[in-house]
Amino acid sequence: MASTTPSGNDRKFTFGGLVLDVFTVAYFAFALFPIIWIFLLSLKSQDQLFTTYFAFTPTLEPYKAVLGLSSATESVPFMRYFLNSLIASFGAVFISLLVGVPAAYAFARFKFRGSNDMLFTLLSFRFAPELMVIIPVYVIYQKLHLFDTHLGLIWVFQLITLPLIVWILRSYFQDLTPELEQSALLDGYTRTQAFIKVVLPLVKPGLAAAALLAFIFAWNSFIFPFILTGSNAQTVTVGALAFMGGAKPRYNLTAAASIISLIPPMVLALSIQRYLVRGLTFGAVKG
Amino acid sequence: MSRVDRPLWMDAFSKSRSRRGVLKTAAGLGAAAYAGNMAWSPAVGAQDSAAADVTGDFDWKKADGVTIKALLNVHPYTDALKADLQTFTDLTGITVEYDEFPENNYFDKLTVDLQSGTGTYDVFMLGAYMVWQYGPPGWLEDMNPWIQNPSATNPDYAWDDIYENLRTADNWSLQVGQPLGSGGQYALPWGFEANTIIYNTEVFDKLGVEPAETMDGLVELAAKLTADAPGAGFADMYGIATRGSRQWATIHPGFMTQYSREGGKDFELDGDTLVPVMNSEVSVPFHEKWASMMKNSGPANWTNYFWYEVGTDLGAGKAAMIYDADILGYFQNQPGGSSQAGKLAWHPGPKGPDGSLLTNQWIWSLGMNAKSQNKLAAWLFLQWATGKDHLTMAAIDGNMVNPVRASVVENPQFQEKMNSNLNYLDTFNAIIQDTKILFTPQPAFFDATTLWAGALQEIYGGAPAKETLDALVEEIQASTE
Repeated sequence: MASTTPSGNDRKFTFGGLVLDVFTVAYFAFALFPIIWIFLLSLKSQDQLFTTYFAFTPTLEPYKAVLGLSSATESVPFMRYFLNSLIASFGAVFISLLVGVPAAYAFARFKFRGSNDMLFTLLSFRFAPELMVIIPVYVIYQKLHLFDTHLGLIWVFQLITLPLIVWILRSYFQDLTPELEQSALLDGYTRTQAFIKVVLPLVKPGLAAAALLAFIFAWNSFIFPFILTGSNAQTVTVGALAFMGGAKPRYNLTAAASIISLIPPMVLALSIQRYLVRGLTFGAVKG
Repeated sequence: MSRVDRPLWMDAFSKSRSRRGVLKTAAGLGAAAYAGNMAWSPAVGAQDSAAADVTGDFDWKKADGVTIKALLNVHPYTDALKADLQTFTDLTGITVEYDEFPENNYFDKLTVDLQSGTGTYDVFMLGAYMVWQYGPPGWLEDMNPWIQNPSATNPDYAWDDIYENLRTADNWSLQVGQPLGSGGQYALPWGFEANTIIYNTEVFDKLGVEPAETMDGLVELAAKLTADAPGAGFADMYGIATRGSRQWATIHPGFMTQYSREGGKDFELDGDTLVPVMNSEVSVPFHEKWASMMKNSGPANWTNYFWYEVGTDLGAGKAAMIYDADILGYFQNQPGGSSQAGKLAWHPGPKGPDGSLLTNQWIWSLGMNAKSQNKLAAWLFLQWATGKDHLTMAAIDGNMVNPVRASVVENPQFQEKMNSNLNYLDTFNAIIQDTKILFTPQPAFFDATTLWAGALQEIYGGAPAKETLDALVEEIQASTE
């Protein structure tokens, strides 16, 4: 509906508003088209893959093949890759929260020598390309027998998830007035109790937002799992490409694998949507 | 000419480095920079072979109980290997663990492992061209001492049964520009592709045309097919598909095959210096002719065409013919392989002015990591995987074509199997003696051919051929100085 006034039910039709709405819908379609195209591909049989665009007979065979319900993909254990991704991503976020939340709190509340350097070092993990460190990490992983293990993936994912969580949560902790904790301390709480019972509940939206972002980044990581895993701990981002090789490209299976891979981040985002909206807008509306 | 998209592993060897190549170097590994230098000593990569430690009678059980690790590319050859791995384990007591990656990423993975020097993978697949990059830094085991040691190699291995031009392709002195066929045997041929014409018999029969015997004939034929096929009931069909993307792989199949038949060369050796000659009198008109043919009779988005696009257009009945790997047509021609399965036929392609049937080839080979801690077990695996028994089984029961061994090609069961592919064997036999690597061995191969593909695209886009190829030659010279 075209709208020109900020109040929801009292809108007037204007040409400018209509153009704006049409533009918004067009942009929405444009932005979503790659996903729509992947979805369409995932519903095509192999013989329709290169002969049809939008008019075809949809089939769920690609999904069955990817899920191992047909014999077409015996050599690609995609569900194992899916499980590996879940283990590595949840594991990485869990460890990062465990370490990152107290760290973010400390960075927000205490001034200590080297704190800025440590923060910058953490940040550098994010802006330094993964390729810059991948070969030394590969060598270290071989020596420590972490290559192709879940533990190895969870560990290396800390380069992705920990900086996100520390930097995002630090700003949330900074936004909270210290008087809240001081009041709790006056009431007889220890600092740990004040942190857990007073501060943490207040940054729940931030925790949800940071954890979700960290999960998505870990889930989408390609270079680390590609180089640091073999067939045991391989994740969906690498495993989905396995359908691309061989005598003929099975884009439909890769597309189906991609659609299936979208499910966990989407479910997670929807399930914590209530916190997420508050978390992402928290900084914007503060006084 | 601008830099182009290409796999990460190519950057590891590039002199004119991309950001990612620089980062790899920054990671502290000097091997890449070393490999990019065109003037290394031939002694580089020499090593005392562990083959000398193997003595006594040959015994398949000499490494019983050992586990080796293989890095494999997703490929029908790999499928045939995996299906037969238990046979190897039963024979030797060696367990083979493997990781498998699609080709788009495979060489990134392999390059990182070889660069790291950790020896994680004892054996791996590689193309013969990769020997020119992986060999000089000393990453590849020289297989000659193993082949020549009767204590290490089973008496039935029959090395000479592998076609000579294939053995030669993995055999190099590590000296830039020096021809293949001397020095170390840095990989063993496993399966290969020769570049031919593969065509749709249905449309050829309906239009009453035959495969072309000359380059001019090919241009005319492609134009006729483009003009007449849609009206003859083949909607949206065009004349000819070849690769056209801005990648090295555009140059090596049909293009290089026909270029060589017409007398074209990539480089000439002037003393110790390689001189690019893609702007020669032979080369310029050929580029014009090829680009014009693809413009007039090729797919609309030719500059995006890779291996898969060429193959699937043939299989989908969009391309009347292709000039690419013979096995690309083979996979499309298998029952259930495509909508045109059973309708495809092979032809050697146009002869050169002097009747030349020179044909460029791609060889999937197997190599051994020079840093492997299990070299005897790795060698037993390699000789089994490239041996008669496995390759015969893989060719007859699997899709291991083209076979690298003459005995497999001559096997009546294989011949019977291939008879369902019209003129496949006749074409194979017509070109096999002239099928070889037609490029000049050098580590800048991938950079040079990628730039070359870019120049071809520019000519396709309307740029004057002579000026474009002169600029190409200058750029290649500048990048290798």
